[in-house]
Amino acid sequence: MAHFTCEVVYRGIFQKNLAARICRGIVLSARKAGRWGIAFGRYGDSPQRNGIPAKDFAIVADTQEELEQNMARYEPKEVDVTICVDDTLSKGVESWAWYGLQPINRLTISGGTLLMTSLQSPAQLLKDIHKKDVPYNLALIRAKASFSGLWVYKEDHTEARILGALARIQPEFLSLDAVCQAIKEAEWGSDLKVASARKAHERLETQPIKITEGNAEIPYSFEMPKWWEMREGVTIPAIPIGKPMEGGKGYVPERNPYFKKFTTRTMRPVIDFDKCVKCTLCWIQCPDSCFDVTPDGLYDANMEACCGCGVCEAVCPAKDCVTMVREDAFEDNASQWEMWRTDKATYKTWMTDKIHSKEHITRSHGFRFRGQYEEEIKKELESGGIEITAGIPGENAESKK
Amino acid sequence: MADTTFTNATQILEPFKGVKKVTIEEYFTSGHRTCQGCESALVMKLMVKAAGPRTIVLGSTGCMYVANTTYYTTPWVVPWMHTQLGSSGSAALGTAAGLKALMKKGKMKSEPINVIAFCGDGGGADMGLGAISATLTHKEYNSLILLYDNESYANTDIQLSGSTPYGANTTFSPPGSVKRIIHTRWKKNTAGMLAAGHPECRYVATVDASYAVEMMNKVRKALTIGGPTFIHSLDPCPKGWDYDPMLSHELGELAVETGVFPLYEVEDGVVRHYGKTKAIVEGRPRKPVREYLLKQGRFAHFTEEDLDYFQSKVDEMWDKWEIPGVIPFWKERPGN
Amino acid sequence: MAVETKPAGAVANHKEMLISGSEACAEALTLADLDVVTAYPIRPYDTVMQAIAKKIANGHLEAEYIVAEGEHSQFEIVKHASTVGARVFCGSSGVGWMYAMECLTVTPPLRVPMVCMVGNRALDDPGAFGVEHNDALVVRDLGWMLIWVDTAQEMLDTTLLAYRIAEDRRVFLPCAISADGAFLTHSQSICQVPSRALVDRFLPRYDRGDLQLHPDNPITVAPQANEDWVIEIRRQNDEAMKRASSVIEEAYADFRKVMGRGPENPWFEEYMTDDAEIILIGMGTISLPMKVGIRNMRAQGKKVGLVRPRWFRPFPTERMVKALSKASAIGVIDRDYSFGSPFNSGVVANEIRAAMYNADKRPPLLSFICGLGGREVTLEDVAKAADMCFAAAKAGKSDPKTHWLGVRE
Repeated sequence: MAHFTCEVVYRGIFQKNLAARICRGIVLSARKAGRWGIAFGRYGDSPQRNGIPAKDFAIVADTQEELEQNMARYEPKEVDVTICVDDTLSKGVESWAWYGLQPINRLTISGGTLLMTSLQSPAQLLKDIHKKDVPYNLALIRAKASFSGLWVYKEDHTEARILGALARIQPEFLSLDAVCQAIKEAEWGSDLKVASARKAHERLETQPIKITEGNAEIPYSFEMPKWWEMREGVTIPAIPIGKPMEGGKGYVPERNPYFKKFTTRTMRPVIDFDKCVKCTLCWIQCPDSCFDVTPDGLYDANMEACCGCGVCEAVCPAKDCVTMVREDAFEDNASQWEMWRTDKATYKTWMTDKIHSKEHITRSHGFRFRGQYEEEIKKELESGGIEITAGIPGENAESKK
Repeated sequence: MADTTFTNATQILEPFKGVKKVTIEEYFTSGHRTCQGCESALVMKLMVKAAGPRTIVLGSTGCMYVANTTYYTTPWVVPWMHTQLGSSGSAALGTAAGLKALMKKGKMKSEPINVIAFCGDGGGADMGLGAISATLTHKEYNSLILLYDNESYANTDIQLSGSTPYGANTTFSPPGSVKRIIHTRWKKNTAGMLAAGHPECRYVATVDASYAVEMMNKVRKALTIGGPTFIHSLDPCPKGWDYDPMLSHELGELAVETGVFPLYEVEDGVVRHYGKTKAIVEGRPRKPVREYLLKQGRFAHFTEEDLDYFQSKVDEMWDKWEIPGVIPFWKERPGN
Repeated sequence: MAVETKPAGAVANHKEMLISGSEACAEALTLADLDVVTAYPIRPYDTVMQAIAKKIANGHLEAEYIVAEGEHSQFEIVKHASTVGARVFCGSSGVGWMYAMECLTVTPPLRVPMVCMVGNRALDDPGAFGVEHNDALVVRDLGWMLIWVDTAQEMLDTTLLAYRIAEDRRVFLPCAISADGAFLTHSQSICQVPSRALVDRFLPRYDRGDLQLHPDNPITVAPQANEDWVIEIRRQNDEAMKRASSVIEEAYADFRKVMGRGPENPWFEEYMTDDAEIILIGMGTISLPMKVGIRNMRAQGKKVGLVRPRWFRPFPTERMVKALSKASAIGVIDRDYSFGSPFNSGVVANEIRAAMYNADKRPPLLSFICGLGGREVTLEDVAKAADMCFAAAKAGKSDPKTHWLGVRE
C-alpha cells in the first residue's frame, strides 16, 4: 500500500475544529515518518451548517507522485479508514440536496475500517449502519461524541484518541510514536493528550463486519437531469402548496423532495400528546416547519423535516410535553401522533421508555455558558472521559490577557 | 383582454389577532440546509406566512440564499428569485416597477402583488445601503425590504460586518494573545438611520422572531401601508454566535429584555415602542447585558471591562438618547 | 433637437427626421412600447436617457423611468423588471458600465433579454470620454450579444432588431448596442423612422413564458449551485448563443420584408470588397474615415476594401472567413487594446486571427491600434495601414508586431 486515504465524517460546525485537527494530525504524524500528505475539507460542505453532516479528508503517500494522483478532487472515491466522530451518523449522511442518503461506510474500501467514537455496542450500531457488499472492520473508541462550536472548543482529547487509534489500525503508515510526537508538537498538544493517545491505542476494540451484517434498508438516491432536460434560466419549479391532513382538517405542508433532514439529527423531540395545551408555539417557532398540524389540533413532528435543534422543547410551556431524546434510541421515522392515535397505551409505554431508559444519554450540542465544557468533561470521566487541566483556551478570558 | 383598471393599491392584510389566528399554510417550507435553530430561516417562514400567496420574494446573496437552495433546490412555495449581494433595494424597486408598468398598460392583469426583497446585515446595511436608500425614496412603488440581521457575514463562515457587536469573535476579529479585541466598532443603527433619512417612507420597524405574532403583524402592516417600507429583524445565529441551537428563542427574548435590541415602529413619522421594549421605556428595569452576552461563545473572551463597556453603551441608548433606542441624538452632553 | 422634414421620395410608411444616434434610439424605444428604463448620468451615452425623458414627459412614451443612485443599481433594477415580463432598456459608458459589472455577469445565465446602449467611452483612468471599445468588449465572454452601429439609422433599426432577437424564446440573451461616443451619440443625421403599425408587425410582445416571475407561475430562479450543475447551465447558454445566429438571420429577413429596406447581410458591411486586394477591418464610426480613405486610394488605383463588423457576438466566423479569404492581406484597425495578448494586438485582431486559423486560404494579417480615447482616425492613418498591408501582400507574410497609429513619438 503506497498511499493511505482517510475521511472524517462529522457534524458540521459542532465538530469542525475537531475534524480539522484530526486530518492535520494525520498528515503531521505521517510526516514524522518521512511521508507526504494533504489535509482538506470538502468544498461543497462549505459553509458548514450546525448539524449538517460534513467530511474532511487526509491523504498520505510515500511519494509526491502518489500523492498527486489523489489531489485536485472534491472527494476521494474510496478511503482506507472512515472516521465517524458522531455515532448518530451511522444512520447515514445526507449533506445537501440531490445527495440522497449515503451510508456511513460508502467510501470505506473492502477490508478497510470504520472507526467510531461511540458508547453503543456494535450490535446496536449495526441496526443503523447499512449493509455493505464487501467486508470491512468496525473499530470503536468508547466515548461520547465531542461537540463544541465555532469559537469555544471542548478540549476532551478526542483528536488525540482518534490519532492513537489510527496508529493501531494502520501502523505501517502511522506509528504510535510518530503520532505521539506530532501531538506533542501541535499547538493544541500536551503531554496529557499524548497519554490519551496511548490509552486509546491500547483500548481500541475492533471486529470484522460481514456483508450480511447491517441495516438492510436501501438508501434513497436521485438521478440528476441532463443539460437539455433542465429548464433554462437557472429556474426550477417551486414547492407546491400543502394540504389538509384528513377530512379537510389539519395541515401537512409539501416539503422539498430532494433534501431530507433525517441525518442532520442527533436528537429528536418525543411528544406527550396528552400533556399538550395546543399553544401552537412549537409549530410556529420551528425554523424548519417540521410540525404537521393534526385534525384534532395537535402538532406532530415530521421526521423527514426535523433537524433536532430542540427549540420546540425550549419554547413548550407545558411541563414534560416535549422531550429531546438522542437519535440512536429510534429505529424508524414513524409518526408519533399516528402511533398515539392508534393505541394510546402502547404509545405511552414507548414514549416513557424512550425518555427514561438508560440508553438515553442526555445530549446537548454547543455552548450554553462559560465554563460549561469544563463541567461536561468532569462529568464524562466515568464514561470514558479524560482528566483536564485548569482553564480552557477560548473560554477563560484570564488566559487571553 | 387584460384588465386595465390600475390603482397601485396594496393588499389589505389585517393583523393576526393572536397566534391561533395565524395562517396555517407554509409558503417557505421544510427541506432547507440551514443550521439547527436558524432564526433567519424562521424569519423567512414567518415573513411569507404573513404575506400570503400573492407574493414575489427577491433574496440577495447570503445565508437565506445559499443555505436555502444548496444545491439547485428550493424550499419556496411562492415565486422567489436570487439577487446580488448589494441589490435588495434594486430588486424590490425593479420588480415593483415592472409589475406596475405592465398592469398600467394593460399587459398584465391588475392585482396587488406583494414584493418583498430581503438582505442580510452585510448585504443590506453595508454593501447595499445606497440601493435601499434610493428605493425608500420612491413612494410610487410598493415594496418591503426586510433585513435579517445575524450580526455577521454569516454565509461566508462568519466575518464581521458593520452590524457586528463590539468585540465579537469572527474570523476577521479573532481574539489572540496580543490583540484580544480587534473589532472595536459599535453596531450601526440601521433602522433609525433609514427612518430619519427618508421622510416619505411610511413605515420602518424593528422585529424579533421570538415574538412571532408581532413580527408577522409588522410585515403585514408594511405590505398594506403602501410605498416602500423597511423592517429590521434581529436573528440569533447558533453558528456565528456559538450557542446550543435550542437557545435561539431565549436569546431573541434576552436581546430585547436587556435593551440591546429595541422593538419599535415608525409609521408616518410617529415612533412607537412595543412589546417588552415599551415596558422598558415605561420604567421596567432592563436585564443586565451580561445575561445575554455570556450565553454566547462569541463573547466568551470578554473581560469584566468589556462587559462594563458594552453595558454603558446600552445604558446610553436608553438613558441619554432623545428618542430612546431609536436615534442617537442627545439633548446635552455632560460637561457642555 | 430633432427636426421633422417633409421629404420627397422617402420610404413608404416612414417619416424622415433629423436626429442623433441617441435620439434615434429613443424613437425606436417609443415605437417598441418600452415598459421600464433606468437612467444614471455618465457621458456620452446619457443623451439617450435625456431623449427618453422628453418622450415620456411629452406623452409619446409610457414607461416607468427611474433614476438610480449608481450603475450597479441601475442595471439591477431593469434586470428584475424584465423577470416579471417588462420590456426594459438601460445603458452606460466607460467605467459606468464597469460599475454595473456584477449585474452584467448575471443577466446572461438568468436569460434576461435586456437591451442596452453602450456609448463607447475610454475607461478611466484617465477619465477621457472619447471613444474606445473596451467597455462593451469586456463582456464578450459572458453570453452578451454585442453589435456595433455606425449611423443613427443603424442605431434605430438595430434597437428594434435587438428586441426582436433578444426576446426570442430561443435566445433570451441580453444585447448591448455599441455606439461610438460623440461621433454617433451627439451628431445628427437624416433618419427614416418607421410607423408604429410597421413596428407592431415586426416586433411581437415580450412573453417570458414559464420563466416569468409571477404568483401564477411559481418558480425559484437561481438557486445556489455547485459543481454538479454549473457546467450544464453554461452548456444551455452555449446552445442559446448558437441558436442566436439563425434567429438573427430570420429577424433581418423579416425586417427587410416589413420595412422594405435593410441590409442583406446582418453580420457585417462590405464596402468595395468584391475585387479588393487588401481588406481593412474596423468597427463603429471608424468606418467613415476608412471609407473616405478607401475611395481616395481607389482613385490612385489601389484596390482596397472595408469589412465593418456589426455583430461581434455571436461572431460570424464562417461568413467572415469567406469574406476575408479572397484578400491578399488583411489589416485590422482596433479602437481598443488588449495588453499582453498574443502579439499585444487589439481584441478584434486576435479574434479575426483566431477565426482565420483553420481557413484554407489564410492571408497575411496585420494588426493596428488607432483612435483611442476619441482621437480621430485620420486619412493618413488609413493610408499608412493600407500601404503596410500592400507590402505584406507582396512579401506574402505578416509582420506579427502590432502597430500603434497616430501616437506622438
